[in-house]
Amino acid sequence: MANGSNAVSREAYALQENAANVVRLVEQSRALFGAKQDAIAHLCSLVNEYQTEGNEALDYSSVAVTEQFLRALPDELPLPEFSVEPDGVISLDWIESRHRLFSLGISPNSRLAYAWLDGTDQGHGVARFDGQQIPKRILDGIAAISKNGIATLRAA
Amino acid sequence: MESLPSGLPEIVADEEDLARFLTSSSQYNSKMVKPSAFLPEPLSCETSVFRHGREPSAALWQMAIHYAAQGRNIHGAAFLKARFVRNAALAVIAAEPPPKHAAIRNWPRVENDRELQRAKQKEVAILLASSAELFKK
Repeated sequence: MANGSNAVSREAYALQENAANVVRLVEQSRALFGAKQDAIAHLCSLVNEYQTEGNEALDYSSVAVTEQFLRALPDELPLPEFSVEPDGVISLDWIESRHRLFSLGISPNSRLAYAWLDGTDQGHGVARFDGQQIPKRILDGIAAISKNGIATLRAA
Repeated sequence: MESLPSGLPEIVADEEDLARFLTSSSQYNSKMVKPSAFLPEPLSCETSVFRHGREPSAALWQMAIHYAAQGRNIHGAAFLKARFVRNAALAVIAAEPPPKHAAIRNWPRVENDRELQRAKQKEVAILLASSAELFKK
């Protein structure tokens, strides 16, 4: 009886642990989802600012592709800041410092123009985004600029 | 050296301050001015700047409202020395009127590939942004 009781306790403990893990995962995904929602809200504020302040015309197709990009961005990577380029295309910027940054322009044709500065290293490139999978060289570029990103990707 | 109607010399000196007016709060953050603030206008392929430093600030903001705002809000200005523009393989040329106006030219161009052109211009705009100082209004 004592053994059975211990077995039940162990099972109950395991169930309790599993339940706690599930709750933890749900909370984590809520936090991550919330962060992306916040980023999308910032994007909407930018659109609103451009509509109300008489700035250059925004390219709304670029806004739509940007939203797809944000949803496809792996949770381990930091979310970008937004600005608008002179032709209305949305620019996404990951700014670690004035000498470590990655900038990406999202055109409506889903070709992503990007450039970076990392100390004395700099460069640029173009990659296609299919709306779901972000090209690896862009993910690597963002991770290289972001200290947290590097640590997370190395740990994965 | 010949001088312009504004009284400034025709040649922009390397140590002159250039002001790029910021017309959106998205063009800067707490750390710096963002690269997109320096990208050229698509048609002219030029970035418009004024040959003016932080002071006197009243004259600076008056210039911004009269000549740069065009109905938009002015949120601040980015300042950088002309030599940083030239170090990035761009040119800065006096372009009056309006008074004290100059244009950043020689941005990379790629025929038939707008995105590659955008990527090349971004790389240069990052260099300008990394050298610029933010002055909020």
